[in-house]
Amino acid sequence: MGETESRLRFDTLLIHGGTSPGPFGATKAPIVQASAFAYDSAEELEDVFKGRAIGQVYTRIGNPTLESLEKRLTVVEDGIATIVTASGMAAITTAVMAIVRNGDEILSSSSLFGGTYSLFRDTLSNYGITARFVDPTDLGALEASVTAATRLIFVETIGNPKMDVPDIAAFAQIARRHGIPLMVDATVSTPYLVRVKELGADLIIHSTSKFINGTANSIGGAIVDCGSFNWQSEKFPHFATFYKKYRNFAFTARTRKLVHKDFGACAAPLNSFLLGEGLETLALRMERHCSNAMRLAQYLAAHEKVSWVNYPGLPDSPFFEVATRQFKGRYGGVLTFGLADKASAFRLINGLRLAKNLANIGDTKTLVIHPASTICADYDAEVKALMGVSEELVRVSVGIEDIDDILEDFAAALEAIP
Amino acid sequence: MNLTVNGKPTSITEEGTLSISQLLETLKVAQREYVTVELNGEILERDDFDTAAVQDGATVEFLYFMGGGAA
Repeated sequence: MGETESRLRFDTLLIHGGTSPGPFGATKAPIVQASAFAYDSAEELEDVFKGRAIGQVYTRIGNPTLESLEKRLTVVEDGIATIVTASGMAAITTAVMAIVRNGDEILSSSSLFGGTYSLFRDTLSNYGITARFVDPTDLGALEASVTAATRLIFVETIGNPKMDVPDIAAFAQIARRHGIPLMVDATVSTPYLVRVKELGADLIIHSTSKFINGTANSIGGAIVDCGSFNWQSEKFPHFATFYKKYRNFAFTARTRKLVHKDFGACAAPLNSFLLGEGLETLALRMERHCSNAMRLAQYLAAHEKVSWVNYPGLPDSPFFEVATRQFKGRYGGVLTFGLADKASAFRLINGLRLAKNLANIGDTKTLVIHPASTICADYDAEVKALMGVSEELVRVSVGIEDIDDILEDFAAALEAIP
Repeated sequence: MNLTVNGKPTSITEEGTLSISQLLETLKVAQREYVTVELNGEILERDDFDTAAVQDGATVEFLYFMGGGAA
C-alpha cells in the first residue's frame, strides 16, 4: 500500500485505493475486452514469456481490467497480491489446488457453503485429497483433528447458511502452531465487517458475485494473498523454488504460474469492471444491509409464527459475543429463521411479493430461499444438520430497500400462513 | 563494467563490483519488490541482494512472475 493510501480510511479506500488514472483522464479503468496482446517484435514477446519484461500476453493469464480490480482488492484487504477468478468456487478450487497434493488433508469447518462442501467431499476426494470436517465452534476438536497430512485449514467468517461465527483469531493460532496456512472465505462478512488479515488469515477468498458486486450483475471470485504464511517448510516442498525466487509472494507466484494458468478459471474483463463498480459502494450498501437485517431479525424474533431466528446480531444468539468482538458491532446482511415446518416455509416464500425466491445473496434486493430443497438438496440429513439446514429453515439475504416495505412484505406472507 | 542483462550487452559506468541492490537501483529495474534475480545462472536469495557481488562480465537476469506464460 502506498504512503497516501495507508492513511486513508476504509470507506475511502474502497473508492480510491489501488486505482490509477485511465486514458484521457478517465476516472474508470478501461474495459480491455481483448483475448490477446500484440508486440512489435518477436524479441519483445519472448522477453514477456520468459518473465524478463512485464507485459500482457493472453487474458487467461492476465488482463489490464482484471489487474485493476486485483490491485484494488489487494489494497482493500491489506494483502500483498490478488488473483481474480471466474467465480467464487473458481477462487476456492484454484487456491486449494495450489496448496494440496495427492495424500494431503484439508481441515475444514463443517459449516460451509454447499458448493465448497461438495468440492471438498465429492470432487477433491477423487484426487487423493481428504477433507476432515469439524464443528468450527469446537476449537479443541479442531486442533485434535490436525494430522501429519494436514496442509490447509479452511473456514468461513459467517457460515452460510448456518450463520455461525467462528473465532477466526483462534483458528489462526491453531494454524500457526502447526505451520499450516489458514484460508478464510470472507464472502458473507465482506471486508466491511472485518479485514480478516487482522485476525490472522493467510489467504482470503471472496465470491465477489455477492456483496462486493452488490447488484447481482456479474459472477466473480478473488484470492487475496496476505503474504503472512512462511512457505519455506518441509510440509510444502512444492513451494521451495517459488519461495527461493519470490519469498512471501511464493503462493501467488505458484498459483499464477501453474494452477491458475493451467485450470484457466479466469475472470472476464467486463465482469471485473462491474465488480469494481460494486466495490466503490460496498460500505454504503453494507451499512444498510446490516441495519435492515437487524430490524428484520428483531421483527421475526417477536413474531408468533416464527419458531427461531438465527442472526449473530441478536443478543440471544450463541455467536453474539464473538461476532460483536470480531465485526465491531456489525453483523452482516444474511439471516435464517424457522417456521413450523417445510409447508409453512414454502407458504411464506410463495406469499412474499417483494423478496425474490432465488439462489443468491448480497443483492440490493431482498432474497429468500429454502436451502433444504434447493442449494443443500443433495445432502443427507446428517450433513444437512452439520450445515445447520433443517426443513423449516428459510434463508434471507436482506436487501437495501426501505425497511418498512421489507417488514410489510414478511408480515403479509406470515399472515397468510394458516 | 560490461554485463549481459536479460540477454543484452549492457555497459554501466560504475567500476569494480556492485551489489545486486545497487545494480537494481542503477538500472532502474521495475517493480523491485517482485523481481527475481539470476546471477551467472544461479537464482539469488532475496536476502543476498545487498551482498552478492556483480563483477565485470557477469550475466544477470531480472525475472517477473506476473506476466507471460512461461513457468
